[in-house]
Amino acid sequence: MIDEQAREDIAFIRRAIEEGSAYATACSPDMLVWGVAVAIGYLGTYGFIRGWSPIAPNALWAACIGLPWLYSLRRQLGRLLGSAPSARGPMAQALSMLWLGCGVLLTTLAIAVCWDGEIRQGWFDAVVAGVLGTAFFASSWLANLPWLRWVAIAWWIGELAIFASRHHPEMLLLAAALMLALLAGPGLLLLMRGGRPRR
Amino acid sequence: MTDFDHAAIDEILHSRVRLAIVAFLAGARTADFSAVRAATKTTDGNASIHLRKLEDAGYVSVEKRFVARRPQTLYALTEKGRQALLAYVAHLENLLPRSGGTRP
Repeated sequence: MIDEQAREDIAFIRRAIEEGSAYATACSPDMLVWGVAVAIGYLGTYGFIRGWSPIAPNALWAACIGLPWLYSLRRQLGRLLGSAPSARGPMAQALSMLWLGCGVLLTTLAIAVCWDGEIRQGWFDAVVAGVLGTAFFASSWLANLPWLRWVAIAWWIGELAIFASRHHPEMLLLAAALMLALLAGPGLLLLMRGGRPRR
Repeated sequence: MTDFDHAAIDEILHSRVRLAIVAFLAGARTADFSAVRAATKTTDGNASIHLRKLEDAGYVSVEKRFVARRPQTLYALTEKGRQALLAYVAHLENLLPRSGGTRP
């Protein structure tokens, strides 16, 4: 009986540590960095269309996607440069891989639609919103943060709004506002709730 | 019969809620009150009582601050708390091989 109880207790402790680890991962400033960077991309594109900005959208987007990628991959880059790997639980790993997968999907699709010229049709931004909604929905369960489900629902509503306005330049402003409110905003809130940024 | 030593059990961590709080903070490093309460699936009052006991025992440190004019309480595991958790887990692991052949 005692060994069963001990095994249960150890499993219980392991689960609690994993939850804490997943919570810590959710506090990463990546959301804030990506939200601000992509919003700058949308606002810069709108400025170019209106003739207010001389920066070509392709160059701007290369920076607005490339730089956040470098930031998000800093741990992997640090590991390649010889830093000690950080031990993380399966839940934290799942959360991290979920966002990495979404990032790869959206980046590769963005390159494809830009290459093809399909980006002008405007549907891609609705896909971005839908994927982010799904990522937030899954994260709310993995990180045990129920309020993230409301962020997911807001993203899905935003997805419909972006799709409905896809033929208007003002869709770029809407997408920028969503990035700031629903990606950078939750990132900032998680940072403030979780205390100091994690390295 | 086993040679299970009740005296070796850390009374502070013997409570499931306190054990959950300490283990959660071991993974999270720092967390606010609502995160701790949600992780331990308990009520405000219950979480407060257990956090106070952990604070009194020196297992948890507390930092109060204001964020957007609202009070926020941050909790973190102290070195003493981390050592206590490690000792508790080690004690549980020690039980496994010793009681492995004494299943009733």
